[in-house]
Parts: sequence; C-alpha cells; structure tokens
Amino acid sequence: MGNLETDAAAPFEQSYATTNGNGKPANPAMEEEEDHETLMQRKFSAPAYTEIKTRKNAAKVSSAHRLKNIANGGYHPAKQLHLNGHAKTAVSDREFKSSQADGVLSPEQEHYQKSSFEEVPLHTACLTYLGFYLLMILGYINQLLFVPKVAKEKGRDGYVALYDAFESFYSRYVYRRIRDCWNRPICSVPGDELTLKDRVTNDYGWSFKFTGTQTRCLNLGSYNYLGFASSTGTCADNSEATARQLGLAYCSSRSELGETQLLADLERQTARYFGVEDAIVFGMGFATNALNLPSLLSPGCLVVSDEKNHASIILGLRLSGATIKVFKHNNMRDLDRVLRQAVVYGNPKAGGKPWKKIMIIVEGVFSMEGSIVRLPEVIALKKKYKAYLYLDEAHSVGAMGPNGGGVTDYFRADAKDVDILMGTFTKSFGSAGGYIAGSKKLIDFLRANSHAHCYASSISPPIAQQIYTSMRIIMGEDGTDIGRQKINQLARNARYFRKRLAQIGVITYGHEDSPVVPMLVYLFSKIGAVVRTLTTRHIAVVGAGFPATPIMEGRIRFCLSAAHTKEQLDYALDVIDEISDDFGLKYSRKPKDLNPIEY
Amino acid sequence: MLDNIIDFASYWWFRYLMVTELYMVEKWERVTIHVIFLTLFCIFWYFNYSVLLSFTGNLFGFVPDVLPGVKQGQGIKVT
Repeated sequence: MGNLETDAAAPFEQSYATTNGNGKPANPAMEEEEDHETLMQRKFSAPAYTEIKTRKNAAKVSSAHRLKNIANGGYHPAKQLHLNGHAKTAVSDREFKSSQADGVLSPEQEHYQKSSFEEVPLHTACLTYLGFYLLMILGYINQLLFVPKVAKEKGRDGYVALYDAFESFYSRYVYRRIRDCWNRPICSVPGDELTLKDRVTNDYGWSFKFTGTQTRCLNLGSYNYLGFASSTGTCADNSEATARQLGLAYCSSRSELGETQLLADLERQTARYFGVEDAIVFGMGFATNALNLPSLLSPGCLVVSDEKNHASIILGLRLSGATIKVFKHNNMRDLDRVLRQAVVYGNPKAGGKPWKKIMIIVEGVFSMEGSIVRLPEVIALKKKYKAYLYLDEAHSVGAMGPNGGGVTDYFRADAKDVDILMGTFTKSFGSAGGYIAGSKKLIDFLRANSHAHCYASSISPPIAQQIYTSMRIIMGEDGTDIGRQKINQLARNARYFRKRLAQIGVITYGHEDSPVVPMLVYLFSKIGAVVRTLTTRHIAVVGAGFPATPIMEGRIRFCLSAAHTKEQLDYALDVIDEISDDFGLKYSRKPKDLNPIEY
Repeated sequence: MLDNIIDFASYWWFRYLMVTELYMVEKWERVTIHVIFLTLFCIFWYFNYSVLLSFTGNLFGFVPDVLPGVKQGQGIKVT
C-alpha cells in the first residue's frame, strides 16, 4: 500500500535490466536473451514502485496469462521491439469508415446515441465527499502540528499573504500526497512509447530523488493524435534542414523582423487546409485564445460560453471585459435559452439596449470530457439569433473528420459558417503554436490589432517547418496516403478502445469518435493507485482530479494516437481489465455487449 | 486456508483504505482517523445504550431482560 516510502532501494538493480532503456551492456544480443528470460520469470516492476498486492490468485492467473502472451510474441513495452516515435500504420484490407457523422438520424439523436455518459452511483458520490472531507481534516491537523517543508518569506511582518491560502493548502495537503503521479519527467520523444525517468520520494511527495533508472512505457497520455511527434521521418528531417538554414529563432515579433516566407507559406497552407480565405499563426496555443479574444471583444459584448471551456478561453474572456454567460455543457436547449434571453432583454447595464455583439464560444473536442460539440445545432442557433461563433479546435483539428479537418469536416459543415476557427498546432501536428482561420477581413483585423501578433516573438523556423510538413502529409500533398492512413488508424483506435472499455464495465464519458477517453475512477486514491499500478505494468497515463474536474469526478484520461497499434491497445486493455477488477473500477450498470469487438 | 483468509482480509482492507482515501495518507494520519472513528463509534454506542434504549423502552413500555442494569423508568422520562 505505501508504495512510496518502502521500496526506494531493493528492486532497483533487479528491474534495471528489464526496464532500462539506455545504459545497456556491450553485448546487446546476450542482454536481449537475458532480458527475455527475466521477463518470463519475474513480475514486471518499475523501479519507483512496487506492485500493489491485491488478490494473489487473480494476480497469479493474470500474470501467467500475460507472460504466456508475451512468450507467444505478444506486445510488451519493455521488450522494445521497435524504436520510439515511428508511426505504425495498420495494414488492413477491410473497408473502414473514418470518423464522421452518419447523418442518418437527426443531429440530436445521433449525439445521444454516440455519447456515453452515466450518473455517478450514489454510494460512490457519498464516499467521494466523505474522503474529501477526511483529507481536509487530516490536512488541517497536519498543518497545525508540523511546519510544512516549503520556503518561507522572512521579514514580511504586516504584509498580507501574497499567495492564495486555500490553493497552497490544497496543493500541500491533498495534491502533494499523490504528486508522484503528475509532472513525471520523461527522457524520450513522446511517441507511441516513452521513457519515464524514475524518481522516488522518501517524505510523502515533498521532495523527489532521481534513481538513475528509466522505465519504458506505452504512452497513453500525450496529445500526439496523429503520431507526428517523432524524432525520425520526413517531418524531423525537414525541420532539421530548416533549423540549419534559418536558425532557431528570429528573436523578434512578426510586425518587426520576425516575418519570413516560411510563415507566409504556413498561413496560406493553413487557410487551404480549412477551406477559408485566410489564416494567421501564433507561437503559442494558449496565447492564441488568451490574447486574441480581447481584441475581438470589448465591454458591452456578450459571450455565451460552454461551461467546460478551456482555461485559456476563460482567461481571454476575462481580459476582454465582455459579459460572460455560461451554458450547460453541450446542452443546446440551455444555449437556446441563454441566447433568447440575451436577445429579448438586451444589456441590463445599458438599460436594456441590445448587446454590441453576441459570440458563442465552444470547443471542438472537450479535452476533459472527451465530448464533441454539437456543431450542426450550434450553427443553426447561431444563424437563428445572428450571433458569432468562435470554435476552438485545439483537440479536434487533425484528429476528427475523414480529412482531418476538425469537427467542421466531421459534421461536413461549411467552414465559412464558423466565423472564427481557432486551433493549436501542439497536438495533432506534433509541434507548437496556434492559428486563427476565417475571412480575410477577420485576419487583417487581427494582424493589426492582436497582441499575440504585434508583441509576441514569431514562431521558431524548425517548429513552423514541422507544422508545414505534417500538414502537407495530412492533406496528401506529399504524394503519399500516409496522412489518410493515420486519420483512419486514429478513428479505428478510438472506437475500438472505447468499445472495449465499455465491455470491461468502466464508466467512460464522451463521444465514440473522440480520441480523448476519460475513464471515471472518482476517488483521489484510485487515481493515484491506478497511475502507479499502470506504471508498474509499463503503461503511462494521466490522471485528472479536483480542481481540474469537479470533486466527484476524478478520472484517468487516455489519449489515443494513430501511432498505437492494436497489439499495444490490447495489452493496455487487458491490464486495465485486470486492475479495474482489483480496484473496483467497474461502476457501469449499463448492459454490456459481450460479443468480441471488431477492430 | 490461513493464507487465503489473510489474503482476503488484506485485499478488502486495501479496498477499504482506498474508498476512504486513507490509502494516500501517512501512517500516523491513518491511525488518527481510525482513533477518531473508534471514539465516535464508542460515543454513539454509549449514547444508544444508556439513553436511546431506555427512551424507546419507556415509549413502548417494556425493558428487555437482556439489560439487567437498566430498570423500568430509568433514563429520560417522557411526560
């Protein structure tokens, strides 16, 4: 149970041979053989953790089953069959329909049919709150009795606290206890697999020490949707060539010395990618939202924002000074109500005069919920009330739609119906930065008024080149169908993974075509236990709890990628099946489909 | 046999710690919470035994024989 405190020393040397990615002895063939043998004999254990001992018999049976699988040539991350970062595309003759709306049912019916959602069981809700209060009480007792091991300001008598008290209390006494499950340092490309740098804590998360070992893990935590995050291949080669030719940075903004042909080409390419008139690119995705929204909105404007919108949007809206009204997540009736009231009653601060403008802000794929915006209905409402629509496609661009064009492509909607198309290059394109695409007028306005354009440093040339090359591959302009294969592979992975999880009996949220799959575990302890246990089985995942989610909805978020193969997903799903039995994660009370899931 | 029982008990102990969030706290904190739990349980038990039982006994007009220490009319009187 106490994973962290006891196992600092003993298993390191043992597991070094099985888990260490680098530092191999001189004779690799011999090492491989030995590796294989140790894998057969010994339980896999990542150096920083020991496996939680649960049901002995179940563990025996399953590990025997797993070992048999590996012996038969099955997948295991520690075997390192291939180099990291290579996108492997599925070879299949069977016709597969990539992710797109069917259009047979009405948009509303289709949304409900394809979305998975379940209410939290009552006893779990009660226990979650009870546990949270216990943690709070223990935190206060702890704070009362001991001085926290943090730096303190001295000579500041009479000053009020500079940092928010509850926030620091929360991070010290709740988050700190399972801090080893977050911000884990890696030392490889986050491709389909990654290498975790092992660390241990001897004081319950106050401080960490590196052990000097590494753990090779299957990566289910990166937003590498199309598998372009790779240190080899066309993208990497082109970026390297550009870095040699143009250098690493211009050290200036676009308005001054940072403008180049490459960025102009990238903008034209982006506009073509979405089928709109023009586009503008920025060096940072977060800033694209946070700094462009204030230039489009001002006090006296009304923003109707989805409740699950990202922090960057919320920050941008607050900076703009516009009035914000929130509607329930993906609830079109609520959106309709809010819009109707806004149009009928006007701006109460201006004595009921009409709002300067009304803007609806939604995301394409919501990263915490795994849900997809109901775009056709939003567009219909936007047209009905003559509001503007700002669509943040950070997670959907590349990952959704038969051509990777995002949710507009997925729903086969006209991109010109969306007034402002925003997105990032950080996820699907394996690079960094953001864009805004739309009409020429909009983009010209932003070029003149956007803080992110006027003051921020322009995109680094190799980073721009990575976006440019990956975009060309997705569009098929490089003369291959690699992009198409990747899009299909991702859609296939997403559906398969979700269906198998539903079969296992865990609760997942979101749309069946969304590559973000949140699995609800509700309790903090369960987040910690699942992340730690999956690490011992060489699977790296990301947990999310309060304050990123509501208190009651702690979750594990799987992010699928086109780089994952069926074998990798099968391995992960088998392990998840086993641990969800052990940890009691099978909350779902829906009827299960017991037929084998076709990949 | 004994092994099985120990396994079973330790597994469900682990599940209990997990749902009460005590899995992720330090050992002394775990002990503290259990002491608080036990104290609360004892207080409730004593309250039920001494007050609630005679109260309900008065209400229904009987005292069970299993409690020799409590006589009819003891405890809180309902007038």
